[in-house]
Amino acid sequence: MALKRVLAGATMALAVLAAGPVAAQKKISVLTWNIPVYEEKIKGWIADFKQIRPDITVEWIDKKGPELGPFYQTQSAAGTPPDIVNVQGALWLEYAANGALLDLGPYLAKEREVAGRFDPNFMKVWQFEGKQYLLPFYITKTLLFYNKEMFKEAGLSDPPKTFDEILSHAAKMTKGEKSGFLTANFDWLYWPLFAMNGVQLVTPDLKKAAFNTPAALDTLTKLAKATDSGAINKIAWTGRWVEPNGAFAAGTVGMLHIHAPAFFYVRGSGKWVNQDTLGVAAVPGGWSTPNSHALFISKASKEPDAAWEFLKLITSKKWAVTFGTTLNNLTGNIEADKEIMAHFKANDPLAARVLEVQMSNLDKITGNWPLARDSQVKEAFYTEIQNAVLGRKTPKEALDTAERNVNRVLSR
Amino acid sequence: MFQLIRTKRHRELALVALFLVPSLAIFTLYRIVPLFWNLGLSFTEWSPFKPAKFAGLYHYEEMLFYDDVFWTALWNTVVFMASAPIAIALALAVAMLVNGDIRGRNVYRAIVFLSYPLMTVAVGIIWRWLFDGKVGLINYVLRGLGLTEKGISFLDSFEWAMASVVVAAIWQVIGFFMIILLTGLQSIPRNLHEAAAIDGAGAWQRFRRVTLPLLRPSIFLCLVIGIINSFTSFDLIYVMTGGGPANATELLITYVYRAGFVKNQFDYAAALTVALFVFFLGLTWIANRASGGDAGAVETGE
Repeated sequence: MALKRVLAGATMALAVLAAGPVAAQKKISVLTWNIPVYEEKIKGWIADFKQIRPDITVEWIDKKGPELGPFYQTQSAAGTPPDIVNVQGALWLEYAANGALLDLGPYLAKEREVAGRFDPNFMKVWQFEGKQYLLPFYITKTLLFYNKEMFKEAGLSDPPKTFDEILSHAAKMTKGEKSGFLTANFDWLYWPLFAMNGVQLVTPDLKKAAFNTPAALDTLTKLAKATDSGAINKIAWTGRWVEPNGAFAAGTVGMLHIHAPAFFYVRGSGKWVNQDTLGVAAVPGGWSTPNSHALFISKASKEPDAAWEFLKLITSKKWAVTFGTTLNNLTGNIEADKEIMAHFKANDPLAARVLEVQMSNLDKITGNWPLARDSQVKEAFYTEIQNAVLGRKTPKEALDTAERNVNRVLSR
Repeated sequence: MFQLIRTKRHRELALVALFLVPSLAIFTLYRIVPLFWNLGLSFTEWSPFKPAKFAGLYHYEEMLFYDDVFWTALWNTVVFMASAPIAIALALAVAMLVNGDIRGRNVYRAIVFLSYPLMTVAVGIIWRWLFDGKVGLINYVLRGLGLTEKGISFLDSFEWAMASVVVAAIWQVIGFFMIILLTGLQSIPRNLHEAAAIDGAGAWQRFRRVTLPLLRPSIFLCLVIGIINSFTSFDLIYVMTGGGPANATELLITYVYRAGFVKNQFDYAAALTVALFVFFLGLTWIANRASGGDAGAVETGE
């Protein structure tokens, strides 16, 4: 009798186990880049999605910037990458080059109004070998912040209009603990300084280094001299994000070349920052490097159609406006950005000015080459730039080594 | 099952094997398999998104003949390792001080030891601020003493970055070394010092002829720990300098991380790990020879 009961129980358990996978709800996962503060609204995304696709469960994962890449790669190696991923900068290029991303082209061809939501200049940033792999999530690019008080003390009124003026303005403001200029250096954010001097990183076919020219040598020599004199703060070449912003917020640096979100950090920690004291402008020539965020779908996703539905939802006007007004960003969604700009003009004119500058010169975007080995090229080039500007090598030696190393990476 | 094994000796061996199986299985799974997996990976072209492709010695050729950063990182690792004797000398001095008959010596011992249990990440953050060019305490003192007019950005300078990181590493480990050496000092019989003193040996001679020889095992232990630390000081470097400026503080271990997780070259990182392993193996061999060739041997009394 007891044996019969045990057998019956075991049979039922097996039946339940066997039925499990069939009965289990389908699931998609969304990986975001360091926006835990947005949790409430993300729950809103998920609630809205449930209305459209009640059969799908959404799991949300958030990772800090440095953790996101390793997390995605290890999950991919395990065969379970998140379905939708929010990435910044050029991280996605290697994933796309290795066939890890879903080509959104067929979806966009079917639903043309989705592609029409976005500014083509920002859509272009997320294309690799002619395929659209990502949709813009929020957009940022570099610009020049300047401390009007320090400008006034140095007898300056307008922001610099040429590269040489950046350096001469910087020199005039340098005194004691004060330095004239700082640039962010990660993710090619310093590249506009080379672009405004006519330097090209690679040949148009992306196969060889093209930067070892007299113009680059001249640019690097001037940057090294200005760094040595203290006109350019060394943090420009060694700091990451917090250090340059912190130095500028402390009120001891005249100009800061960085991407737009830095404004909110600087304003949050710099007591001197207000509409009368903080200036914002495009750098000479209007050049800027984007450092935007976008969303892709993993090719290994088991629910690509549901992931696409989710992608459409979170880049819709409703959620783009919510995102922009909550986290102070523009989104690349044309209609949403109009509303976001109106919101800032009414509530925060200084932020509106920053965002306006960010939307200018969209034809002068640089530093975003579709290189499959972007991170390796970046390392090969920037290490030598550091060697030159910090005085370990002559600019000529540094450029020669950088050229050799970059060509080595590109030849692989 | 044990009844099936006939002799007592065989039964005992089977029991030993049975006890060993779980730990050997774990050791094999988490140590041996990854080791060979890593070795295999170093001969392939691999990314998490693609199947592996045989690449022969490509990564080793790259590492040995084209990659300047590898040689810089290797050199930095040697420099970092060479700081172990400095830490040991300082720890020995402190150990001898707190081994004397001074009031409150237990408090001093505790204070010196306190740096060791701190998390390395916390140590890195503390020292990063101490070395800060603008608000760092060290620069404040240097300016106060009139030794410098402008703050020195220690961690951003090619000249100072490595030395600064080494100082932080020594500071953290010195307490631990002190405890090991103190134990060694206390195990030296007092009568040996007294006999040497009666024979007319001065303090320096007693130190050289009695203390140092008898402390050799403790010093050797500290040296081994110091060398291991120099291979695993990832967190301190990562927090303080990130390996910069321009690889000036890059160690092999931080470079392995960067190759894998920043540059997405897991295959190349595997080759670097093999180089690190070979280097470490060589050092272990030297250390073993230096200790008489039987370090780690168990005396069975047979």
